[in-house]
Amino acid sequence: MNAPQPAPTAGRAHAPRAKPDARPMRLALGAGGLAAMSALAAAIVMPPRSAAQYANSAQQPAASVDSLAGPTAVQVQRPIQYVQLLPGQTAPPGAAVINGSAPTPITMTVTVPAPAAQPPVVIKTTASGKVIP
Amino acid sequence: MILAPGVEHRVSKRALPRTPSPGLCPIEPVSFAATSMGGRLVVHLEAEGRVEEARRDNRRVIARIDRWAARLTRHTDSSDLSRLNSDAEFAVPVRPTLAAAFQASVAAAEASEGFADITLLDARLAAEGMVETAAASRRGEWEVVRGERGEAVVRRPPGLRFDFGGVGKGWIADRALDLLAAWPSALIDADGDLAIRCAPGKFWEVGIDDPRTADSVLAVLRLGAPHGGTYTRWGVATSATSVHRWTVSGIATHHLIDPRTGRPAQTDVVQATVVAGSALRAEALAKAAVIAGSVEGFALLERARVRGAVLVTSSGEVRALPMTLMLLGS
Repeated sequence: MNAPQPAPTAGRAHAPRAKPDARPMRLALGAGGLAAMSALAAAIVMPPRSAAQYANSAQQPAASVDSLAGPTAVQVQRPIQYVQLLPGQTAPPGAAVINGSAPTPITMTVTVPAPAAQPPVVIKTTASGKVIP
Repeated sequence: MILAPGVEHRVSKRALPRTPSPGLCPIEPVSFAATSMGGRLVVHLEAEGRVEEARRDNRRVIARIDRWAARLTRHTDSSDLSRLNSDAEFAVPVRPTLAAAFQASVAAAEASEGFADITLLDARLAAEGMVETAAASRRGEWEVVRGERGEAVVRRPPGLRFDFGGVGKGWIADRALDLLAAWPSALIDADGDLAIRCAPGKFWEVGIDDPRTADSVLAVLRLGAPHGGTYTRWGVATSATSVHRWTVSGIATHHLIDPRTGRPAQTDVVQATVVAGSALRAEALAKAAVIAGSVEGFALLERARVRGAVLVTSSGEVRALPMTLMLLGS
């Protein structure tokens, strides 16, 4: 069945519909792809974190100033100054190791009273006996 | 090193400390005092923490000293010596303790060139006014013959009586020191007569009584044993005319009888202290020095090769043999 076709309008020509420009999209997709590739590359090449760092990260929560600063609190991550190795753990390469069993010696000067000098034991030799009146 | 009882340990003069060595340590003894032999008896031990053991040994030694003294005294009728003195027989058997004391008295007489004489009891009693007459020494009138088991037979004219006096005390002190052989350093103070043993590296301090001033010390001697050496034995005794004095017919006299005269010695020595290798020898020579007088006494002491001697004269002078200076403490 043929559907009725509208009558062509005289003098009004039908121009072909213009396609959208694909270049911006391509640029956006390319840029996004590059960003994704960069992120992946960065994740792949980043050095692994030691177990100690993970442990201390857990033990040392990020310092929070919430209670001090009120609603405009800012979280501050303090740098880790030292780590305490658990049994079986090894120190990271280049880390300065402090032996916990050998604390820095402390010199204390204590003044005590000198002991009383023992009187020498002197045994006397004498002429024995008594004076007879 | 443990010394065996009865073993005599001789120390040459070369081995003696040249001076009071600063490296020697004073002995801090544990002391036990008792009354015995008519006077004060003190046992000093370097206990080194073994106080209970020292106390036990001290009791044992004092008990033994009392038994020896009970046999040798002339002041009780039941003693072995008193029974001998009253025995009318010429030859009288005596038990080992009395026999050993007689043998020691022979050695004392020889060391003192006859001045230590146990036959002067009657002379002593005459000086006290207890008997009428007295003889001089009767040293040559008796002898002792020892048996195989320590006993002996004493042969003497009936009526000759003996008195061990200071010789007996010195002999007892030496024997008591032998009983303490398990203790490195020990000292027996038999009423002023001292028998001493000293461990290497240690020294005893002995003060000499000053007869001129009450409760004062004339000098302090350091009697020690050198480091790395052997145990050293010392004997120190003091004899004096200032003690045991009395008056007879208004004349002051004393108990030191001159065996040459049978009377109290006329001497310029008030007190003599002698340092020797045993208490017996020191006692005999101290008595000899007083009786003989300062001039003859010093010559006798040098011949006897004593380790030291200090004499106080009637003029108040204090004189000492040169080797005594090596023994003087601080």
